[in-house]
Amino acid sequence: MNPRASRRDLLLRAALLAAIAAVSPLLMPAKIAAEILICAIFACATNLLIGYGGLFTFGQGAFYGLGGYAAGFLMARFGLPWPVPLLAGLLMGAVSSAIIGAFCIRRTGIYFIMMTFAFNQMIYYLAYTFRNITGGEDGLAGIKRPPFGLPGMTSLNLDNPTYFYIFVAAIFVVSVLALIRIVESPFGRVLVATRENPRRVASLGFSVSLVQLVAFMISGAFTGLAGALYAMLYWIMPIDAVHWLNSGYIVFTVLIGGTSSMFGPIIGIFIWLQGFFSTLWARWPLLFGAFVVIVVLFLQGGVIELFRRLSALWGRRERAEAS
Amino acid sequence: MQAPIIRTEALIKQFGGNRAVNGVSLEVGGGTLHSIIGPNGAGKTTLFNLLTKDFPPTSGRILLYGEDITREPPHAVARRGVGRSYQITSVFQNMTLGQNVWVALYRRERQGFLNFWRHADRDASLREEATEILSRVRLDDRADRLASELSYGDQRLLEIAVTLATKPRVLLLDEPTAGLSHEETESVSRLIAGLKGRYSILMIEHKMDVVMRISDRLSVMHFGSIIAEGTPEEVARDPGVRKAYLGS
Amino acid sequence: MSLNLVFTQLLNGTAVGMLYALMAFGLSIIKGLLNIPNFAHGAFYAVGAYVCFSAYERTGSFWLGLLCGFVASGIVGMVIERFGVGKLLASAYLFQLLLLFGVALMLEQAIILVWGTAGNSKSPPEFLQGAVDLGFTLYPRYLLFITVASAVIITAVWFLIEKTKFGAYIRAGIDKKEMTQALGINIDALFTLGFGLGAGLAGLAGGLAVPLVGVTATMGTDMLSIAFVVVVIGGLGSIYGAIPAGLIAGIVQSLVTIWAAELSTVMIYVAMLAVLTWRPQGLLGER
Repeated sequence: MNPRASRRDLLLRAALLAAIAAVSPLLMPAKIAAEILICAIFACATNLLIGYGGLFTFGQGAFYGLGGYAAGFLMARFGLPWPVPLLAGLLMGAVSSAIIGAFCIRRTGIYFIMMTFAFNQMIYYLAYTFRNITGGEDGLAGIKRPPFGLPGMTSLNLDNPTYFYIFVAAIFVVSVLALIRIVESPFGRVLVATRENPRRVASLGFSVSLVQLVAFMISGAFTGLAGALYAMLYWIMPIDAVHWLNSGYIVFTVLIGGTSSMFGPIIGIFIWLQGFFSTLWARWPLLFGAFVVIVVLFLQGGVIELFRRLSALWGRRERAEAS
Repeated sequence: MQAPIIRTEALIKQFGGNRAVNGVSLEVGGGTLHSIIGPNGAGKTTLFNLLTKDFPPTSGRILLYGEDITREPPHAVARRGVGRSYQITSVFQNMTLGQNVWVALYRRERQGFLNFWRHADRDASLREEATEILSRVRLDDRADRLASELSYGDQRLLEIAVTLATKPRVLLLDEPTAGLSHEETESVSRLIAGLKGRYSILMIEHKMDVVMRISDRLSVMHFGSIIAEGTPEEVARDPGVRKAYLGS
Repeated sequence: MSLNLVFTQLLNGTAVGMLYALMAFGLSIIKGLLNIPNFAHGAFYAVGAYVCFSAYERTGSFWLGLLCGFVASGIVGMVIERFGVGKLLASAYLFQLLLLFGVALMLEQAIILVWGTAGNSKSPPEFLQGAVDLGFTLYPRYLLFITVASAVIITAVWFLIEKTKFGAYIRAGIDKKEMTQALGINIDALFTLGFGLGAGLAGLAGGLAVPLVGVTATMGTDMLSIAFVVVVIGGLGSIYGAIPAGLIAGIVQSLVTIWAAELSTVMIYVAMLAVLTWRPQGLLGER
């Protein structure tokens, strides 16, 4: 692929992402649209592990929550410039996923899944217990959005919903583009190879555990960043973000949207935004659980797979007609 | 006399009550094709897996170029220039042929951290080399097809091409002609015979005609030990070998 | 800090640990047979507890309650396997996991719909109330009962698995799936029954826990996490690893309560980290 084609592809993707971000607030309240974009970052980061790495992680909520708590703590107590809480979320996500990943990566398959879940629960329990830092089950409140400013411009108040939405949208586009870049890079391709056949990859000279650990860290970093944004969204970081329901939810959106591309998870979030349904009925997880069960039993492969199959069918028909 | 490339010293592998490899000491000379044969259950595959570092031995040592690699993990041994193939063809099914070879080439070319940022296909020289390697096994015309689309025999050739792409000096081949048709067996054994001299090869193989024709040396295993060793002619005349295959 | 306290907590920990062991043992059986982490296991525990509670309330018989709890969870488990997990065995792994996750959510919410969000409690049956005088401490009879009952149940299941024909099928299904099928054994039925057994054990653990901790809306989730940790500590390969692991978890938790009550549950996770660091294959695992 020559540089021009690669750059053109990137610009196309960026345009598509920007279009999604631009259209969404026209279809729904800005807050909901912002939440969708934030969850989309979370989902794409998770897809790096699940879709590209073949690592079924059921504990991403831990990093989402930790990122949110780190950022939220800073925003509630101190008035720091806007890059600081975002960086804090990102770093917290990266570091915590590196530590937890180091334990989980050692085991494969079923144990990996169980351990990601167990660590998620451990973080939830710690968040519940250390109320003075996290606010316990009441969440970390009193978060103040920092003003947005760049050198040479007047600062914008991010409490203004429009400005905040643009802020989130920009980070969304940049984050997802970065993730796309990463999965198409040499690292990304080797990661996919480790999903396909880890023994073979090792026999070619790669340290599979190192590749997987780095993937875990990258995913954790972006997840933490999403958590930081979420803390800004409602000016509070709820403990629900760390709950295993959130972890399972994000896996589900990745699956339903399709794991084979970074756009799949975005579709998945649009299909079912947890934040929206939770306001409708206290027992909404019952509906969500039922939805998951139905989709899994009857609609496997997700939406993107459906598109792929339809377009393959179309292409075959066209070729048949042409011959 | 050149020092052996691979040497094992009294290798033992015990699984519970079963001693699959019972004190095997063998040597593979530089540039030779050394085959391990023996009846089913003789321990050949276990011995092979010890050499590919799939699991550690219960006791004994493995030396590569005189250095002790007994405790090294597979990827470290691979970086020392050891390539391997698998009994059941092992390619990256959902990646193209070119991408399959690319993975091997990339490791050879880039020793340090993996690049996160540039597109994987940006490096034209890697792509050209991948095509060249695929042409050696006559698969270059299908470089952009998925590996899953190939026939089993062609996948086997792809796997060997990928192994060769890492530019190893030593090859460990696990039943390279397993599951192949007569013609496919012919082309693969010719390919392997052509690799002698440039590579030091250790091979497990069941097809006697292939083994006898292309091997420089044979080791015969039975019940976890080596019962005979020598050139194909010497081994064919060995009475103990006959007994092992036909007697018990 | 007296030695008395330590011994008391050791005994407490043993009782709690036996419950953990029972729970995790069921999880191990399901994991060994179907090779999935059962995300709904906590829900089975909760179902067992709530059904036992209600049956006990209605009839006044704790034994009937336990039986109902066991049967209810077992049936729920078998239904889920037969119409859910079993149908997905040929599909990608992720689907099976998400199914169990969805089922867990539904069961948890269903319990709240039926029994409400407020928890409840119940005292043990008359003859199990009060305490036994052990000299250095008064030990609650019910805790002793839990220890003994769990041990009896585990031994019974061990006997079932190791000494009966059904158990032989289960062991074959765990070790050599294809072979079992080739021998003409109905592997679908085996999976359903095995899943039901594992679920029933969770339900039994739930029933036993009722006089101890009562019933609460989140009891399933709390137990699920511990069960997972216990299975990880117990290790690869052996379904019985969960038993000593459960005991360790219970004892660690109870001992830590002496110094720092709020950290007692976290210590179970720390124990998991310790085991993973120094013995990555777990207690009874092979490597």
